[in-house]
Amino acid sequence: MSEKNPLPVKGRTPALLLVVLASLVALPLVLPSATLATEILIFALAALACNLLLGYTGLLSFGQGIFFGVGAYGAALLMIHLNWGMFSALLGAAVFGAFLALLVGALAIRRKGIYFVMLTLAFSQMAYFLAYTLSGWTGGDNGLLDVPRPNIEIAGHVLVDLADPRHFYVFVAVLFLLIFAGALRVIRSPFGSTLLAIRENETRAAAIGYDTRHFKILVFMMSGAITGIAGALYAMLLHFAPLSNIDLMMSENILIMTIVGGTGSLFGSLLGAGAIVVLGDVLSELWPRWLMLLGAILILVVVFMRGGLWGGLAELGKRLQPSRTTDDKATAKTKETL
Amino acid sequence: MQRRTLLKAGLALGALGSLPLGAHRAFAEEPLTFYGLKSMSGAFASYGKYADMGSRLAIAEHPQLLGRSLKYKVIDTEGNAGKAVRKVQEAIGQDGARFFQGCTLSSSALAVSKEIHKAGGVFMTPVGADEITGKDCNASTFRWSVPTYGAIRETLIPMIRQLPQAKRWYTITPQYVFGDALLDNARKVFAEFGVEHIGNSYHSLQEQEFSGYLTNAIAAKPDVLVLLNFGSQSSNALRQAVNFGIKDRMKVLMVWSAGLDQFQELGSDVLEGVYLGAQYWHQVDTPLNKQLVAATQKAYGINPNYPLAADYIGTKVMLDAIAKAGSLDGASVSAALQGMRFQGPTGEELIRPGDHQVLKDYYLLRGKPQGQMRDEDDLAEVISSGRSFVEVDHTGCALA
Amino acid sequence: MLDLYLFQLLNGLGLGMIYFLIAVGLTIIFGLLNFVNFAHGAFFLLGAYLCYTAVAITGNFWLALLIAPLVVAALAWAVERLLIKRIYHLPHTFQILVTLGIALIIQEASVLIWGPVGKSIAVPPELRGVLIVGDFIYPYYRLFLIGFAALIGLGLWLLLERTRFGALVRAGSESTETVSLLGTNIFRLFSLTFALGVGLAGVAGVLFAPLRGAQPFVGPEILGIAFVVVVIGGMGSFGGALVGGLLVGVVQSMMTSLWPQGASLMIYGAMAAVILVRPYGLFGRA
Repeated sequence: MSEKNPLPVKGRTPALLLVVLASLVALPLVLPSATLATEILIFALAALACNLLLGYTGLLSFGQGIFFGVGAYGAALLMIHLNWGMFSALLGAAVFGAFLALLVGALAIRRKGIYFVMLTLAFSQMAYFLAYTLSGWTGGDNGLLDVPRPNIEIAGHVLVDLADPRHFYVFVAVLFLLIFAGALRVIRSPFGSTLLAIRENETRAAAIGYDTRHFKILVFMMSGAITGIAGALYAMLLHFAPLSNIDLMMSENILIMTIVGGTGSLFGSLLGAGAIVVLGDVLSELWPRWLMLLGAILILVVVFMRGGLWGGLAELGKRLQPSRTTDDKATAKTKETL
Repeated sequence: MQRRTLLKAGLALGALGSLPLGAHRAFAEEPLTFYGLKSMSGAFASYGKYADMGSRLAIAEHPQLLGRSLKYKVIDTEGNAGKAVRKVQEAIGQDGARFFQGCTLSSSALAVSKEIHKAGGVFMTPVGADEITGKDCNASTFRWSVPTYGAIRETLIPMIRQLPQAKRWYTITPQYVFGDALLDNARKVFAEFGVEHIGNSYHSLQEQEFSGYLTNAIAAKPDVLVLLNFGSQSSNALRQAVNFGIKDRMKVLMVWSAGLDQFQELGSDVLEGVYLGAQYWHQVDTPLNKQLVAATQKAYGINPNYPLAADYIGTKVMLDAIAKAGSLDGASVSAALQGMRFQGPTGEELIRPGDHQVLKDYYLLRGKPQGQMRDEDDLAEVISSGRSFVEVDHTGCALA
Repeated sequence: MLDLYLFQLLNGLGLGMIYFLIAVGLTIIFGLLNFVNFAHGAFFLLGAYLCYTAVAITGNFWLALLIAPLVVAALAWAVERLLIKRIYHLPHTFQILVTLGIALIIQEASVLIWGPVGKSIAVPPELRGVLIVGDFIYPYYRLFLIGFAALIGLGLWLLLERTRFGALVRAGSESTETVSLLGTNIFRLFSLTFALGVGLAGVAGVLFAPLRGAQPFVGPEILGIAFVVVVIGGMGSFGGALVGGLLVGVVQSMMTSLWPQGASLMIYGAMAAVILVRPYGLFGRA
């Protein structure tokens, strides 16, 4: 799969992180509630993880819902049955997510292209089946209720009370920033360049001597861990882990957010999640048939704005810069004919 | 090139512009807002549409409440439990929402009821899961609909009595927590009345192809086939069963039918002679039901169906309770609701204090042949009706 | 007991023929156009709805069987001309996204036009009733389905193997460039093939309508079945769609006697197993 995505620009990490920080600060102010902002960040994490697979390694996975659901169930069960606190539960969710991703990834990457996609889809359906069958653990179609949201404490003293939605938002925002920075680091490392090489031409990357399987499994596990954390946070947000976390629609939604935001850009994941969640809320109040508009938007994004929202903003940014070299014009012309 | 830029800019601006620039609302002497949780979009849109219509009808009867004007706001759950919970959290946190009615899915209702209870609100729901007035009950949650125990007893028992020759019964059950609850109750009834439960076919949550299960059932040669599934699964199971000529070999009972809208979809050819369990039927002759039918005809030109009736009475009862309590405090309204007697669609109904379950009738209907239908909605006739509810001590509900 | 398994086997073959019809259009589209059509299930349900309307207007199921798929095919042709042709060159990701968008639009449009509650279509009077052979009971309509699907399959095979159009489609699946260089209007070939593939989904929708009704939200389920069949059989393979369809139908039917709750697990498990063991499905090629 080759898309003409711009390679990440080097040396702009502090600036990008500042932009992310600014967005995180602005989000709850611009939106009507901290709860909505938190949901956006949670899905932005999931989209970010999906982007690691899709945008950077070229792997289209319909299985992200598996890790999201497993993270939610895992954290919930650890907190409910073993009384684990906030950080241990999140760690547990990451481990569960990574483990499932190892299983799914190791099997799925044996095939390429559409067959890889279909394998992830098959695993997604199988996971859904297991989730509603093992209803003793997962609550089946009722879901897991009474999921706690532990406060951050040391030796029994509450440091931060996370029951307040605004406090929880700040907590999730900090986590998002840390994970974002971490992912950025990975992308800009030799590991990340190898992923891009695999995306552009896997045969060549293998020929150069990289164990592409190894890399793909690792990025799968990263993606699974982050998605698991997102799922856990979602369960804590809602105090509830519904069955719908692990169904195919969840995987589809995460993919839609990733692609609409712009693959090949981590910040795009935040944009995509924000756009889709807010759009859904706003539209669903106006018209019950709002899904039709979502469908139209998906089509428009692919046909006109393939770089997603991030690509659109980047284009806008370039337009606003008057000085152009002939090289830029040539690239711009090539892009136009695509 | 210009056109492309304009389009992209437009899309980006559009996305930004769609963000409601969050005004934090002031809490002045404002209208009382009543919140309806309806699945307006998504896979359960049909339910949500009529449920919303029902709530609106009840709201329209109360332009004023406790000296304030009454507003109604719909929260679209999108048929998704996660969305429902988040939107309810938002409404509670941002808008001070306290009074909620609705929900289509049991999972949504269960989770939402916890949030509302934490906020000291009041919630009335028509969902079917036993746990709502069972182990997950709480002081803020009330339910208007008959759960599995009553649905089974008020359909199986009258049928057993009416058909003394029917000794062999076969069940088809969906693999839901809810399906298992129906099956357990059915087994108890079979044992109690000495009829033979000759077999059961489980099927998965998404199954739409019932030919295999019907073949199993036919091979077992039962006298009655009992469908314990619901929604589109029950519709398809019945359609396909009729296609297999099952009505010539045995009686069919659909325990948990959706009522009029499902009957309209299936039509009299399929429904004729089929026994149908229902929470509500528009032809039932009670004072409130007559009023409801007239009001629905006037406002919408149709006969009320179950979602409409359930959310109408749910909303109405809550509004009446607010008036009775004379206060907007959740606990006071809940207290007013406890033990409240009122005229409901099934006659005089009572909100049982011990678990907040409304005691109401469940109906056994039978599909009518086309020739006997007096109008296009006259698809079934009432065979029997009654009330069966688990003793409060056995529901698992411990209301403080 | 053996009887029961025999019945399930026969029932499974019947189901399998319908699944073949659902899947074969998808595989043709992928084979020639290298296009992943996530709107396939949506066109299926559109076929069912158009059947309902056609029956409501003409009172005749057979007319509906003729008209509805043609309307679906015409719509597909229009969508191809307007939209699909722009995205052939894009990676599968974007094709999936666009066709997901189309599927959503069709789904919600169905609710707008026909309402959120489903519709029923009666089995045509000529085919009511059941065949009874000893203890074996099978509806005439389902027998008709098997036969009709087989007929369509045969017709399709003849189309692909014995006509110029079919030769072009098969050649184009191997190399569109060569076919285009040899003088064929590739764009027209693509449009016709897309319309054909989607039209077949429409036919399946019509045929299934008396058994399932017309519902707005069945798209994803049908799409799932289609992909399972196509992947097992091999993407782009006509024979694969047939064998895959029959396999899935039989497995599903047998499962109802052996382990009914596990039906969907088995089917998706089978899909995963086939992909892992045979990379291109049973009959697919690279």
